[in-house]
Amino acid sequence: MKRHIFRAILAVALAVEAASLVLIVWVLHDFFEERVTEELAQSAAYIARGIEIHGGAYLTGGLPEIKRITWIDSNGAVLFDNWEDSAGMGDHADRTEVRDALLLGRRTAVRRSDTLGQKTAYYALRLSDGTVLRLAEDQDSVWMMVLQALRPVFLMVALALCLALWLAGRVAQRLVAPINAIDPEDPGGETAYEELAPLVGKLRDQNRRIRRQMADLVRQREEFNTITEHMQEGLLVIDRDTRLLSCNKAALELLGAEETPLGESVLALDREAGFRRCVEEALAGRAWETLLDRDGVCRQVFASPAERDGAPSGAVLVILDVTERERREALRREFTANVSHELKTPLTTILGTAEILENGMVREADIPHFAGNIRREAQRLIDMVDDIIQLSRLDEGGFAGSWEAVDLYSQAARVLEQLAPAAERRQVTMTLEGGPAPVWGVPQIVEEIVYNLCDNAVAYNRQGGAVAVTVENGPEGAVLSVRDTGVGIPPEERERVFERFYRADKSHSGGGTGLGLSIVKHGAAYLGARVALESEPGKGSAFTVTFPLARS
Amino acid sequence: MRDRFDQQLERLHVELIRMGALCEEAISAAAEALLKDQRALAETAMEKERELDQAEREVENLCLKLLLRQQPVARDLRNISAALKMISDLERIGDQAADIAELTAHVRLPPDSCVSHIPDMARAVISMVTDSVDSFVKRDLDLARQVCAADDEVDALFDQVKAELIALIAADAAYGGQGLDLLMVAKYLERIGDHATNVAEWVEYALTGVHPSNN
Repeated sequence: MKRHIFRAILAVALAVEAASLVLIVWVLHDFFEERVTEELAQSAAYIARGIEIHGGAYLTGGLPEIKRITWIDSNGAVLFDNWEDSAGMGDHADRTEVRDALLLGRRTAVRRSDTLGQKTAYYALRLSDGTVLRLAEDQDSVWMMVLQALRPVFLMVALALCLALWLAGRVAQRLVAPINAIDPEDPGGETAYEELAPLVGKLRDQNRRIRRQMADLVRQREEFNTITEHMQEGLLVIDRDTRLLSCNKAALELLGAEETPLGESVLALDREAGFRRCVEEALAGRAWETLLDRDGVCRQVFASPAERDGAPSGAVLVILDVTERERREALRREFTANVSHELKTPLTTILGTAEILENGMVREADIPHFAGNIRREAQRLIDMVDDIIQLSRLDEGGFAGSWEAVDLYSQAARVLEQLAPAAERRQVTMTLEGGPAPVWGVPQIVEEIVYNLCDNAVAYNRQGGAVAVTVENGPEGAVLSVRDTGVGIPPEERERVFERFYRADKSHSGGGTGLGLSIVKHGAAYLGARVALESEPGKGSAFTVTFPLARS
Repeated sequence: MRDRFDQQLERLHVELIRMGALCEEAISAAAEALLKDQRALAETAMEKERELDQAEREVENLCLKLLLRQQPVARDLRNISAALKMISDLERIGDQAADIAELTAHVRLPPDSCVSHIPDMARAVISMVTDSVDSFVKRDLDLARQVCAADDEVDALFDQVKAELIALIAADAAYGGQGLDLLMVAKYLERIGDHATNVAEWVEYALTGVHPSNN
């Protein structure tokens, strides 16, 4: 804009200067032409007097040859010419100035000379004898004078030009300054030019709108971030070229990345075949899911294509940590397999024994033995089904039974009494130490816990071993501890012994349902008690159950 | 124009990550086929090798196109030339993995293995390949240097395996053929380690502008 204004001002200045120059030249030219004619007239008068006095000889008497002097007879014949040969010159009566001088006495004229072929100023004067004296001077000399006179003018013009340049620059600057002074961020209310007012107003409106929209955007982004950052699920958004557009903290954690490589390829986060396939399929417009099982963490990835105008423009990946789910699933499968196996074993024995009896292959005397087998296995089945029912009740939390104060010590004493025959068979000595310790809980569950722990301690003991049961009041509540001298549990199996049907001693399948410790664990959880296990393989194990403080 | 160049550079990066991943999968499949005696995995390794060959040609094309049309300078030029070198190493890793997979058809680790260091070697080499690709993906100079250091470990393991195989054949000449095949496996693993080192060195070059061999 500044340049435009500058150019416009400069153009105007130049045009004015050019016009003035033309005018000056024209005026000067006219002025000098007039002077030349005047001079011619003076010279002519002077020479005319000479001729009047001295006759034609005056002309040949060494007059200066600066001007052309022609003497023409009244009939038009050239009597004398100081530049040309008068004999060769034609009739001059038809020349404007001569003709007019013959009629009027004197005449000036500016015209192209027929003889010299140049633009020439003439002055013709009729002498008293009727002849005409004509003086001529060509125009070149006029122009020479004009040029000479113009020299200072040119200097002036040059100076004016410089001044115009400087002024144009200054004026342009001054004109533009208020426009430049407008702050596009904050245009303010006033402006130096009223023509700019609508523009400034518009600018202000737009600024306000942009600020509002920006605030909205920031708020939306914050909302989005707050939502995604607090999601348990990993969320990744990628564009068509697999570049990462957005991702939350959970996604980075699930993929094991430390920094957010926004703008880089998502494959830099994970390049496993399954993940790659997911990304490729989603970008090809197909939803896909896969399971990534690595480093003990199991992740499920759902990839959905994101479409814009019908063409895939990216993809959204959701990542879930399904380690726990998969583990539970595996446990459930194992449990189902175990339960079928455990239920089937006694049934097979019952079926086999019954078949033998049916076929009459058994002597009368042996029948009680076989019937005893059937009864024992059936009893085992019933025990197992009871245990399973007990467990599922604990699982569902719908255990029927009222909460009341239970004395752990007397409970333990009763259990030891019940187990005395079994202990005697295995020659296991049982001792009970400590004193009364009240526990707030469901009596059946407390009994189940104590019974199962002591039963296991006896069943998995060595021949002639010992079981020491201690009941005491600890600072955190009543503590029951059952210590045996059995086979012990290797460290890697300590977690698993509480699983259903899990047996530390794989060869030991007789007796017990394999659900005892599971019932202990679930029962303790139901009552809010803690179960701890210490064990030394080959020497024995100690289970400690810490009940919560009894309510006063 | 520039934007397109950046896009192509990004694509080159992604393609290299893909090649790296294919390498890891090929060598893991080959090692598993050998160590766990799973024949189906040998086929997987060979398939990955074919994919790698294809990928190498594509990346090479891309690199040449970038070099000719965009005339990159400074770091971009370094990245592209490093990429050109890396892909041939990655492709070689794929080849060696396929070679191992081929051998698994008639080689078995002797039971109660007296060549216990082959699994160690395989594990070390797989982690080297993973680390070298990781160092590229994460532009991690330290990791690249660790890969170069790990190569010595693999070389030492190779010497141990060799000694074990000599002992094996000396004890029972019937193991002669097997022993030689196992030696080949060990040699391939050792070569893979070298290629992984090369990749890591090119990563270092791309990051610092100085190839470690010039130090």
